[in-house]
Amino acid sequence: MLPLSVIIALTVGVAIVAFLFFGAGALAGHTVGRVVLLVGLLALPVLLSAGNISYGFHQSSTTAFCLSCHEMRPHGKSLFVDSHQALAAVHYQNRLVDRETVCYSCHKDYAMFGDVKAKLNGLRHVWAHYVAGVPQKIELYQPYPNSNCLHCHDDMRRFVEGPAHKPVLSALYAGTTSCLSCHRVAHDMAKVEAGEFWQAQ
Amino acid sequence: MSSERAEVARKIRRAAVLAGLGLAMQLGAAFHWTPATFILSATIGAPLVLIGGALFLAAVWRNMRDKGAL
Repeated sequence: MLPLSVIIALTVGVAIVAFLFFGAGALAGHTVGRVVLLVGLLALPVLLSAGNISYGFHQSSTTAFCLSCHEMRPHGKSLFVDSHQALAAVHYQNRLVDRETVCYSCHKDYAMFGDVKAKLNGLRHVWAHYVAGVPQKIELYQPYPNSNCLHCHDDMRRFVEGPAHKPVLSALYAGTTSCLSCHRVAHDMAKVEAGEFWQAQ
Repeated sequence: MSSERAEVARKIRRAAVLAGLGLAMQLGAAFHWTPATFILSATIGAPLVLIGGALFLAAVWRNMRDKGAL
């Protein structure tokens, strides 16, 4: 979907700058004109650019944005597989994460620079897509950190009191035992290939 | 128009061209919103706007300095 508000704002901005381009000679001659030039050629374009980039950063966290690269489509489809084990499907189908930002919710670190790191990784993805080539098998850059799971599950009663979790709770918090050592299937690609999808009633 | 004012206007127009190009580039990217166009918009469009703004300020500053207003 086109970002209509961004398009309208930028179009107005371009029109104003074009108007000031032709009127620069006359406007530079008096005080009010100089203020108009200051606002129109400096403040307005900078504000519009900041708004546009802010919008872009917000958009780059959405599921649609991640899946706009065809390489990620199978992973997108894995959100819909008929499975009670596959983490991506369970979280998506049970609305445990916001569906609009499901990729970002699980694949960004929640530390101080988590957003920055995620965006830099996004740059690497774009580089791979257009220049370096996408690897045959898509894998994480580093082992999935428990802290990402614990960001939400940390003090959840079902998690803390779960019989399977109790014996390894301290190891999970310390990161010495990975959540994925038991929850092995993150994206069930086998079911994607087999076309086994859950149909919402 | 005096030659001094014409010179300032020329510099301001140059700044306007860069700022306009930067905004136009961002506008083009907004019409076809993909990861690549967003990166181009942020790495080329926005810096063009900043360079345009800086040129505008430089033109104003030089003009004020030449007039002894600083």
